[in-house]
Amino acid sequence: MTEYYKHLSLFWTDIIHLMSSKPQALTSIGPMRAFAANSKKIAVELIEINENLLGFNQYITEYYKQLSNTWGIAQKKVNQKAPKIPQGVEQIEAAKRIWIDIFDNDFTELFDSKKFGENYGNLVSKELELTKHWNNITNVILQSVNLPSKEEVDEVYKEIHSLKKRVSKLELELKKEKRKNAK
Amino acid sequence: MQNESSIDPKIIEEVLKFSKNVIDAPKFVSAPDEINLEVTPHKVVQQIDKTRLLHYKPISEIKHKTPLLISYALINRYHILDIHPEKSWVRNLLEQGFEVYMLDWGTPTSMDKYLDFDDYVNGYLESAIEHIKNQSSTEQISLQGYCTGATIATAYTALHPENVKNYVATAPVIDGWKDTTVISNLAKHMDADKMVDIIGNMPPEFMYYCFSVLKPFEQGIEKYVKFFKNIDDKKYVDNFLRVEKWLGDTPPIPGELFKQWIKDIYQENLLIQNKMYVGDDLIDLKKIDMPMFTQVAVGDHLVSPECSMPLHYAVGSTDKTLKIYPTGHVGMIASSLSQKKVLPEMGKWLAERS
Repeated sequence: MTEYYKHLSLFWTDIIHLMSSKPQALTSIGPMRAFAANSKKIAVELIEINENLLGFNQYITEYYKQLSNTWGIAQKKVNQKAPKIPQGVEQIEAAKRIWIDIFDNDFTELFDSKKFGENYGNLVSKELELTKHWNNITNVILQSVNLPSKEEVDEVYKEIHSLKKRVSKLELELKKEKRKNAK
Repeated sequence: MQNESSIDPKIIEEVLKFSKNVIDAPKFVSAPDEINLEVTPHKVVQQIDKTRLLHYKPISEIKHKTPLLISYALINRYHILDIHPEKSWVRNLLEQGFEVYMLDWGTPTSMDKYLDFDDYVNGYLESAIEHIKNQSSTEQISLQGYCTGATIATAYTALHPENVKNYVATAPVIDGWKDTTVISNLAKHMDADKMVDIIGNMPPEFMYYCFSVLKPFEQGIEKYVKFFKNIDDKKYVDNFLRVEKWLGDTPPIPGELFKQWIKDIYQENLLIQNKMYVGDDLIDLKKIDMPMFTQVAVGDHLVSPECSMPLHYAVGSTDKTLKIYPTGHVGMIASSLSQKKVLPEMGKWLAERS
């Protein structure tokens, strides 16, 4: 179903883009034309964001389900152990201690479990995919105003890192040599 | 009517006192932002990129000729080792007559996302050690690593044993498969490649999440209830705020370093199997042959003792000591127990070999 709507949306975006390209080229000047072409890229990203949102919702629902189930079980245990209506300050303290110990134990057991670890890993992964689409949209906008994209900036960072690494290794070697010669 | 009359007046008194404490708190307590965590005087003797090498001013006669360099963890800042004059790890060592240096990893920015284990081990740590050797005219130093800083220090010690006279590993992250903490469970299921490709550095928010799953009710509720209950206890409040400020100051971890740490330590567990590479160099723990002192805490819920202790058995050293303390990850380095037991034992061990 999702594939169908994706196809439908892409079909009409492409057709309208093709149909309008000539009058657009005629009436617009450079940057506006580039922005019109980029709008397709943004549309694709938005469609894919919707797809990712389905997966994200599935994992986040499971995440809160796991938390609320654990809460429910822990609360039942507390109800069995703690007095119904605590009388006096000492009893309140004791009931609070029981509550904290049981809740911490049960939640730690959950966070330590494979089912939590797997779902949390998938949830973060989906969140990262959503971030990636947002990055892609931002890149399109940055390029439309002639600014470097994230990938282009990353390339510069990588190059700087590599140069700095080489320089600092040479500096270190030089220091060691100087020290050796000074002896 | 019967229920109303059965309420203990002490309960009402407690509730009113607690409410008053909450309202009055700002009158007695500094804002965390106003607290200076730099306790013991020091000089910055070397700065490379964002890292700084700190040299602490001696507060007593230097009795031991081998200087000690502390390689702090990658999580949060080095201030926990000098959090309060009465609980300062650094100050205690200075009082014992050691010359103490600390490597502050600084706060990486997006530009530092390509920094990897090689940069930290063979770059920053190696440069710091070379600097200390030059300054102190010694051929070897004593090295202490704490938590993930001990993972870096362990890699360094295995690759450059000739520079390390004594090695102290405090709660080192070594055997990821044996780690029983919730942090390791999250790390084992994480797609570190994807995180680094998309976000760059490991964001502090992720670390805050990891902290939030550690005893969430004790740490998230009870701790603050105790704080407001003890608001008129100056010593307690000061210590509490210092630790809280330290907890809230989490720098990002450079992407490539984070990726290798998660994959090589927690997911593939390469370090303890002598299969981990730093740059082009293979780390062989058997090459750690100098005297070694390992400190672990039974109640450590960040790095479990099962994760740290294998280092003691994996190294080639014949002179090695393993100490297990009845405390937690932070308690081992910043508590009255650390002042009364952990540090004197470590100091004695180091003094005999320095």
